[in-house]
Amino acid sequence: MLEQIVHSVKLLQPETALAVTFCVLLVLDLVVRRKSNLAAWLALLGLVVTAFFVLQQASSGQNSIFFNMLAVDSFSVFFKFVILASSFLIILFSLQSDELNSGTRRLGEYYSLIIALTLGMFLMTGASNLLMMYLSIELTSISSYILAGYTKEAEDSSEASLKYVIYGAVSSGMMLYGISMLYGLTGAVDIYGINRALTEGDINLMALMIASILMVAGFGYKISAVPFHFWTPDVYEGAPITITAFLSVASKAAGFAMMMRFFKVSFLDPTVGNLAMGAWASFQGFEWNQLLAAISVLTMTLGNLVAIWQNNLKRLLAYSSIAHAGYMLMGVVVLSNEGLAAVLIYFVVYLFMNLGAFYTVMIVANKTGSEDIEAYKGLGYRTPLIGVAMTIFLLSLTGIPPTAGFVGKLYLFAALINGKWFWLVVIGALNSVVSLYYYVRILRNMFLKTPERSAEPIQFSFAHVTILLVLLIPTILLGVYFGPLVEYAQASLVMFGIQ
Amino acid sequence: MTGIALHHYLALSAILFTIGVVGVLTRRNAIIVFMCVELMLNSVNLSLVAFSAYLGNPTGQILVFFVMTVAAAEAAVGLAIIIALFRNKQTVNIDEINIMKW
Amino acid sequence: MLTEFGRVFIFLIIGAIFVAGGLITAWLVRPHRWYPGKLTSYECGEEPVGDSWVRFNIRFYVVALIFLIFDVEIVFLFPWAVVYQKLGLYAFIEMMIFLAILLVGYAYVWGKGDLDWDKPTPHIPVIKKQKPVEQAYAEEVTV
Repeated sequence: MLEQIVHSVKLLQPETALAVTFCVLLVLDLVVRRKSNLAAWLALLGLVVTAFFVLQQASSGQNSIFFNMLAVDSFSVFFKFVILASSFLIILFSLQSDELNSGTRRLGEYYSLIIALTLGMFLMTGASNLLMMYLSIELTSISSYILAGYTKEAEDSSEASLKYVIYGAVSSGMMLYGISMLYGLTGAVDIYGINRALTEGDINLMALMIASILMVAGFGYKISAVPFHFWTPDVYEGAPITITAFLSVASKAAGFAMMMRFFKVSFLDPTVGNLAMGAWASFQGFEWNQLLAAISVLTMTLGNLVAIWQNNLKRLLAYSSIAHAGYMLMGVVVLSNEGLAAVLIYFVVYLFMNLGAFYTVMIVANKTGSEDIEAYKGLGYRTPLIGVAMTIFLLSLTGIPPTAGFVGKLYLFAALINGKWFWLVVIGALNSVVSLYYYVRILRNMFLKTPERSAEPIQFSFAHVTILLVLLIPTILLGVYFGPLVEYAQASLVMFGIQ
Repeated sequence: MTGIALHHYLALSAILFTIGVVGVLTRRNAIIVFMCVELMLNSVNLSLVAFSAYLGNPTGQILVFFVMTVAAAEAAVGLAIIIALFRNKQTVNIDEINIMKW
Repeated sequence: MLTEFGRVFIFLIIGAIFVAGGLITAWLVRPHRWYPGKLTSYECGEEPVGDSWVRFNIRFYVVALIFLIFDVEIVFLFPWAVVYQKLGLYAFIEMMIFLAILLVGYAYVWGKGDLDWDKPTPHIPVIKKQKPVEQAYAEEVTV
């Protein structure tokens, strides 16, 4: 037992580093009484140390630590990199956000909560035990509730936060009910034990179905899939823009990682030779992939159709991120290695383009104080750099070649076609066309409308340009040179417990 | 002599869970909504303990410990947010918390 | 033959009969003479002042929240203490780490001043000197 623990502690270094950073930031907030950016730089340092430990993990093979509580494997390491990159960028964004830095507010708590949120998402990527899943979801959720309401003097921020708490609490309660039923049915709490019980014993199919649907409620809330998406637009609109960007990328990535691991490992039937088929085989008599396909279609269609009517850019991007969750769910429907690899590729691409779009919105909001689409009139002439950057991010979000978004969609659709899901491909493609409409609406405002007479060009500093380029270059580069990314994603599909 | 069997506990837990869900959906006071959420979590605790006793496997009870702690943390954060909102709007009525729609 | 539930049910019925019987008998036996003083709610012989549904001070909330969080941690300490002898040094170190993290939280709450029960500054009413009516009237007109 002691050996297992010692072995596990070694592999828990990234999480330990994050936890230590969190505590240090809290103490720092007590000691340093004046307003300073020290906390942000310390948080960045903590993330760099964490990245170092994650790099070490990348070469340590597949492990399951703390008696099957957490899996440390290539799959979780891939998502840890995505999450680390986004939290690093978000802290850089926060340093420049006027919304956060105005007034006398001190941000020590803010940065420590971002670190706690990152820690929660790290645990989500590796969770291989129902208890760990619940705890990591709650750690992520509770930190994000507070962050969503961080600018608490703004009415919409605290409203967003309250709605988030209520939806979050209800859906985690439902997931917990599903967990209790799964535990009762199988007598196990780790997903390997559940898999064993599902493939060996005969289990009441009805109860198992209800339990799994309840679990899907929990996952669906985290990735904002459609019947559980109601919190998303309000929270995204009300929360500070940095947090909105963070939630739309990292928290979704963690949710997807946990969902894919849960479905893949616990429903896998090892007796079936073809893993793509075997993954769903433990449920005879119920078509799981059909249910997920339905959720995916609903999610992207609703996201795209409602986005058309939005005038607030933050809210528009919220609906667009719901639609993107729908696209990515298509990859989970296939659940073959190809489908999962497509989701992984999509996440890397989505990280850059979505954060880029939010960053541009933040720069404009810093200057004009507005997130309304009207504020973008003539932006392409007033401030060409920002106009062009926004154009590229939006085209990439639509999936137009030669941007990175195209590559992401290409691999998703290819996986679906190989999995014989032709109708889903058609719906996905139609949705991309719809999404073109509202993205182009922003472009039209930027380039075809004349600016107000009083509008001045937006000033930006060297730091702004650097961050913009850091996001812009991958968005273009990954569109033309994507070989290494694809190879890395395909190599990262190894989960502990699956040969 | 029939004892109180597993299905009695499960039925009670399901009833409590449903009451909780219905309460969340229909009540208008944010604090009562939170009490209903607590009811949902506690009904889950009941079924976990029942399963644990039935299976003769203590894992379920450990789960309950963690659920209790998390529920407390969640309630604390929820109440703190309600206080922040109350300072802004002077109300905890969910119907009046409606700046953002669609 | 009664099941376990049957016994519980009989207890319930007898309990209900006891309560209802007592109330009904009292209602039948007692004289019915009402007057306003009798209908007020009893408050230590005093006339009740105000509504009982007053809003509590927000400080109670904060203290309750903090109590709630730290109180629940006992849930983890208790099982640990029960099997401590079997687990040995490792469990001790682990629990100390847990408590250290909690202590950071406690220090944070303390440092932020959320534990200070700031006493309300006593508000001593100052009785203004009564102004002559004409003077007060003149001031009001000029304003």
